[in-house]
This record gives sequence, C-alpha cells and structure tokens, in this order.
Amino acid sequence: MADLIAYVARKILLAIPVILLATLIVFLMLYMTGDPINALSPPHASPELKDALREKYGLDRPPYEQYGLFLWHLVHGDLGVSVGFATRDLQVGDLIVERLPRTLELMAIGLSISYSIGIPLGIFSALRHNSLGDRSVMVFTLLAYAMPSFWLGILFMLFFAVKLDWLPLGGTTGGFASIILPAITLGIGNAALTTRMMRSSTLEVIRQDFITQLRSRGLPEKEIIYKHAVKNAILPVITVIGLDIGWFVAGSVVVETVFSWPGIGMLITTSISNADFPVVRGCILVLAMFVIAGNLMADILYAYVDPRVRLG
Amino acid sequence: MIGVRKGLNDKLISWKMAGGVKQSAADMIERGARNKMVVIGFTIIVFMVLTAVLAPVLPIADPTEQNLNEDELLQPPSSENWFGTDELGRDVFSRVLWGARVSLLVATLAVLVSMVIGIVLGLTAGYFGGKVDYFISGTIDLFWTFPPFLLALAFAAGLGAGLYNVILAISISYWAGFARLMRGQALSMRERQFVEASRALGAGHLRMMFVHVLPNCIAPLIVWASIGVADAITIESSLSFLGVGTKPPTPSWGWMLQSGMLYLDGASWVSTFPGIAMVFTILGFNLLGDGLRDVLDPRMKGLRR
Repeated sequence: MADLIAYVARKILLAIPVILLATLIVFLMLYMTGDPINALSPPHASPELKDALREKYGLDRPPYEQYGLFLWHLVHGDLGVSVGFATRDLQVGDLIVERLPRTLELMAIGLSISYSIGIPLGIFSALRHNSLGDRSVMVFTLLAYAMPSFWLGILFMLFFAVKLDWLPLGGTTGGFASIILPAITLGIGNAALTTRMMRSSTLEVIRQDFITQLRSRGLPEKEIIYKHAVKNAILPVITVIGLDIGWFVAGSVVVETVFSWPGIGMLITTSISNADFPVVRGCILVLAMFVIAGNLMADILYAYVDPRVRLG
Repeated sequence: MIGVRKGLNDKLISWKMAGGVKQSAADMIERGARNKMVVIGFTIIVFMVLTAVLAPVLPIADPTEQNLNEDELLQPPSSENWFGTDELGRDVFSRVLWGARVSLLVATLAVLVSMVIGIVLGLTAGYFGGKVDYFISGTIDLFWTFPPFLLALAFAAGLGAGLYNVILAISISYWAGFARLMRGQALSMRERQFVEASRALGAGHLRMMFVHVLPNCIAPLIVWASIGVADAITIESSLSFLGVGTKPPTPSWGWMLQSGMLYLDGASWVSTFPGIAMVFTILGFNLLGDGLRDVLDPRMKGLRR
C-alpha cells in the first residue's frame, strides 16, 4: 500500500508541469494576434478607453508579471471577467460553474452509452472471431470512427428529429429526451474504440492456457467465458476509462454546439463568435483540467490493478 | 476525439524495440498491395486526390459564384446541379469538389509540418539519450497529454480563422505523436550493428541520424502519417464547423455542414453531400493506415490505438 501512495504522489507531482503548460497556452492565446487589448475592448473603442482598459486588465505590466498575476488569480479561483457584449464584467468562473453540470451530465451519459455498447459488442465479436458477425462489427467500428461527431449529430438530427420527429432537435426543453441524441453522438465514436479494445483483449485472454485448462476440466463454456475470460479481459479496458475523458472533452465542444446543449462546449463556441476571450480561455482551461484529472485517474487505476507498475 | 491511442502506440513502439518484424518501407508497400484494406483505402485516396487536383480544370460551376435568383436558391439535386444548390444559389457539387482541395491541403500540410517537428525532436531525443532525451521527452509528454483537438482549438481561437492559422494550429497540436514514435524507433536503431559500424567509420551525428537511422524508420512513419491525415481532416472540419477554421467563402466541408444545418428541414442536400465526401476521405486514410499497420505488425491486427 505504501508503494501505491508513493506512486500516486509522484504522479500528482508530475501533473504540475502539465497544468502549467495548459495555463501558459491559454495565457498566450490572447497574444497570438498581437496586441491583446484589441481582443478585450469593445469594437471602435477610443484610445483613452483602451488605455483605461489596459490598466484595468493589467496589460501595462511586463508579460512575465502578467503571467504571474494570471496564475495568482487562478490559484484563488479567479478566471477574470467576461468582455462579451451581453455578459460584460461578469465573472468567468460563475459563467462556467453555471454550465458545468450540463457538460458533466452529457459526458456521464455518453460514457455509459459508449461502454454499454462497446463491451458487449467487443465480447460478441471476439467469440465469433472472423465470422460474418465479427466482420460487421469491425465495419461498424471503422465507420463510427471515421465519422466526425458533428456530422453524426447532423445525421441523427435529420433522421430522428426532422424526418421521424421522435426526439427534440436540440436545446434542453424536451427534458430527458433532449439528452438522448447528443449523448449517443458523443458516445458512439468512443464505443467503436472500446469495441476494438474489448475484442482484442478478449481474443488475447481466451487463447491463454488457463482457459484451455478450464475447458479440459469440463466447465460449461458459458461459465468459462463469463466467469473467467471476460473478467480478465475487461480489466485493461476499464482501467483506461480515464483516458477516454480526453475524447469526451474534445467531443463535447462540437456535440454541444450541434445540439445547442448549454454546457461548457457551447459556451466556448458562442464566446468565440462574441470575441469573448477570457471566457474562451477559462473554458479551455477547465476542459484541460478534466483531461489531466482523467489521465491521473487512469494512471492510478492502472497501478492499483497491476502492482508491477508502482515499482517502475 | 483522438485521445485513446496512448497505450497502443507504446505497444507498437515496444514491439519494434524488441526486434520486431522486418519493416522496410518497400517491403511494407509490397505486402500492402495484397491487403484488402490497404487497396480500398488507397483507391479512395487516389480518387479524392484526383478530384481535388482536377477541381479547377473540370467543367464545373465556380464554387463561390452566387446566384441570388429566387428560383436558384436551395434547389434539389438536378441534371444541372448534381448535388443541388445552397442558400446562396451556389453549386453544391462544385463546392464539395473544391472542399476536398481545402481539406486535403490543410491536412497534408499540417501532417507534414508536425512530422518534421516530430522527426527532428524525436530523433534527437532517441539518438542522443541522456539529458537531451530527458528534456525533449518531458516536452513531448506534456503535449501528448492533451487531445490534439483541444490544443488545436486553443491555438485556432487565439490565432483567429484562416487557412494558414488552421495549419499552424493543427501542426502545433499533433507533432507529439510523431515525436514519440520517432524517439522509440531511434532508441532501438542506435544499438543496431550497421549504425555502430558507421560510427566506427567516423560518421558524424547528423549523418548517422538522417542517413542511417531515419530511413529505417520510414515504414511506421507512413502508417502514422496516414492516420494523421484522417485525424487532421477531422480536426480541420470540426474547427471550421465551430467557426475558427478556414474562413468563408473558402469552400470547406466543415463550414458547409455548419451553414447547411439551418436548412436540414427541406434542403438536407446542402449538408449531406459534403458530409459524405468528408467521411469517405477520412475512411480512406484510416483504412490505408490500419491496413499498413497490420502488414507492418500482424500482432497488432484489429487493435487500434
């Protein structure tokens, strides 16, 4: 147990430079197009107003001091204020907290969908290796993976909302029905990856000696597969669940925009079109933290499951 | 969307390091010609590239020419406009063809740039090892943590929309995969006898890196590049869809899908055709990459990323 704690502590320390890189990138975002004041002031602002704003946002200080200040504010949970027309001077942190539950809800349901499709399908495919069923599943995974999520979302909208009129087109007014299409759209690409991983993991396990040994002892095939093979095969698939967060974070930006789902992703898109830089960078930073947390989770789970990792 | 290949790339590298299979590029291509996925993928790519290259000389309508007559807007597919017309009376068929040009250009250039960054950094790290490796690997791992799309979104939002900005944004976000691959390859190569032999003959570091080590790593780089182009097309069209990719009136698939969404009810052809072309292209590069990887390393079969 002590080695596990040491391992986790080391991993957390190693996450610090990653967090710093994320903050540096979002900090630099403002400077990529030249003078950041242009991005922060309203259109046609007078030079006097610009100077006043420059002082207000601390842009008159040297860059390293600005970055230091940015970090200092971050540590205190202060992400700055919005410069968008409708939300000017509102706290970015408040705007994000307001949207956060929506994104979490979408990601959680998407994640459940992707695993409840991927795992059974992967097992099915592996047990019927090289059969027609297996090949169809593989074609499905290829297609699902090649589909950019916004295109898949548009197709779903076209069929289930426009043509069949079964589900709402977007937004949140339909209650639970509203989340079905966005969540499936978000989950299906990852379901394809999970299927492939589950399939190869199962294939690997059922070829091992202990399975042959169980067969020779005359255990029923069902018991061998579900009690012994799947239990071993599922482990490596489940441990990387944290890495999937990256997929869902990236996907949520696009999917939320397609379905007008009012989460952080949609906030990014609207803020981009409103030229509301502080909100964009706040959102991206929050999403980056999700990714880092997901990676950390995967590392820890992995070490928990496989003690050899902790020593390395 | 592209975050999950982690462990599996490591697997690819460790397999290579263990001595692995024969992996010269010529050998891979020869065996690839007998692989169904490679052949289908390659055919699709050739078709799309031809379309993209020939778009300016084909007898098709100008993709940016608007036709604002009432009876020319949002017309369904006909013998005159094969894929119909969009909300500004432009020919969707011609826009899909020109869109292939933009997508392939952006994706190919972005992958080339990130490949160059990846090769230089990965090769340096793997070849020299020690402190150099420590610092470069640290940087690679930092970038590797984030999904390329999220990074690209941050850079694209900072840089603003535009063709070259998108290429830059994707390149900065995508190089880490190439660097990791290259580092692993270089690590295993530098211990090989032929490299030691040329060292004994007094070859300089640059010569060793680029004349001896690099050419022996081409095969896995081709695999990674093919999958990379598919990813880059996805990223580019997603960015354009969000409004930070290429700028209109440049005919980009992502942008066409975005504006077509408004007319889904009644004029679905405006977004369906560019969507089909896009998936077709991405599928082609994925098939080629997957197939070549299977050829390169049969043990990885079916195990993607």
